[in-house]
Amino acid sequence: MVELAAHRNNRAASRMHTTGAGGFNVWRNSFPVEHLPPGGSEVEVGGVPFSFPPVGEGYDNVRCDGQFVEVPAGRYDWIHLLAAAERRAEDTVELHYADGSVDTEWLRVSDFWSAPAWFGELPAYRTPVMHYPYHVQPGIGAHLWAQRVPVPRRTALAGLRLPRNIAVHVFAATVQEPPPGTAGLPATRREEDGRDH
Amino acid sequence: MTTDHPPRVHHITGAPPEFWYRDLASCLQATFGSVLLRAGHDPLEVLGTAWQFLYRPGEVRSEEFYFPTRYEGDLGRGIAPHHPLTSAWRTPDDPADPLAGLRAALDADRLVIAAVDNHHLPFRPAYRDVHAAHLVTVFGLDEHRGLVHVADATPPAFRGAVPLEAFLAAWDSANPSDVQDAFFSDSRIGRRWLDVRVGGPYPDTTPARLAAVLRADAELFTTGKADGPDGAAGLAGLARFTEELVDRSRAGDPAAIRDLYPFGWGMQAQASLHGELLRRLGAAWRLPVLAGAGRAVEAVAHAWTGVRMTGAHGRDDPAAAAGGLARHTAVLRRRYAEAVEAVHEALDALPVPA
Repeated sequence: MVELAAHRNNRAASRMHTTGAGGFNVWRNSFPVEHLPPGGSEVEVGGVPFSFPPVGEGYDNVRCDGQFVEVPAGRYDWIHLLAAAERRAEDTVELHYADGSVDTEWLRVSDFWSAPAWFGELPAYRTPVMHYPYHVQPGIGAHLWAQRVPVPRRTALAGLRLPRNIAVHVFAATVQEPPPGTAGLPATRREEDGRDH
Repeated sequence: MTTDHPPRVHHITGAPPEFWYRDLASCLQATFGSVLLRAGHDPLEVLGTAWQFLYRPGEVRSEEFYFPTRYEGDLGRGIAPHHPLTSAWRTPDDPADPLAGLRAALDADRLVIAAVDNHHLPFRPAYRDVHAAHLVTVFGLDEHRGLVHVADATPPAFRGAVPLEAFLAAWDSANPSDVQDAFFSDSRIGRRWLDVRVGGPYPDTTPARLAAVLRADAELFTTGKADGPDGAAGLAGLARFTEELVDRSRAGDPAAIRDLYPFGWGMQAQASLHGELLRRLGAAWRLPVLAGAGRAVEAVAHAWTGVRMTGAHGRDDPAAAAGGLARHTAVLRRRYAEAVEAVHEALDALPVPA
């Protein structure tokens, strides 16, 4: 799991009696804490474990603004995210590798506000109500999506730089290692290939 | 002044209108979509056929349903210029009998699209909270019981009766300025309603037909002028709009950002529907290049998210938002250019007009 605590800068979830404390979008709608997993709990979505953020206590997600998020050093195939967007959004993330390589990959996140999974995400959580600043609204659900970003290079990943896009929110991240036996070329082989890493 | 109309029931024939909704579309496309569905047409085929860019400086209204049109306020033709769909804004001729026009339309078995202020409608989340201009479909009027039958596909989605008093309050609202909704308030509703004519016949969507409209719209993108007679059109118009947006924001002009949200919604909705339609047709006709062009147009819609949300969150300090707007509008212009190029490529796979 990837530690996001230092980067959290937005309060997306609120409690029933203090809905005005939340502000996921420009209208200050928010996820209802009562319909989400407990803050700090370990959850599993699509077979991927995540550390659920501390909802209801303050900042609970990262509103993307170019933050650099370090990952535990290692080789990975996927970066899994719990994320939601203020309207459908796609933008790029930079994958920074330990050998100095940097590639951009797409991060696509569907709208949190009663919308379908336009980019094929897994619906991680869908709440039966939406919090407005002064009331709890039935019939409008808030969605938190499970999305993933590929890590194409077969070399160690150091971190990712999130997009500078205020519409995209990341709640949790987990990196997934390659299956055993598929770790790619060892470093010595890469050097024999004559490639500059 | 008195009215001679006895209380009566006016209702369209058959079932209430079906909902039609897309997450990037607004109440404008949703209400027209319901009208088209009732007439037996596929809303996506009608509302997704055109893809253009048009900005009319000084015209933008603080309403969810604002859409720039070169056809003298005809929103129907504006959102579906390649089909016979038309509409005209109406207001009551006789203030003493404001419902006369609605009665006549319903008696003629036509749905009415009414402008409302959400603040007065019990089924809207903004009820008694936020003033915001919106559109709903009216499919019945029961003056005997004091009810108006309305349909609203926008979540939480409602189809049923509301008290006539509530409807009249929403329909006649001044929709005053509201800090909770800076983008869709401060715009008088004024008992406006859209008199929609579906028209016909509707052409079948064939490869040849699609090629013709794609070619026409692609030409508008490349020949449109930054200061044309209808406004700022095409890629040149987009360049003008984005440059002015950034410059005005940098100068601290709040109007630049206030207009961005409603104006951008229309352009975003249109791109999303066009892209979805091209993807669908590309898959159905086994033309991957067409489906790919559709995805490229959808990327335009997604780039609008970055622009609109950067502006929305920066509304209190436009100058501080200027940098973000510059970055996102640069992306938007690239996405438009890429999508126009992708449409040109798709045209090579479609029939050449005779």
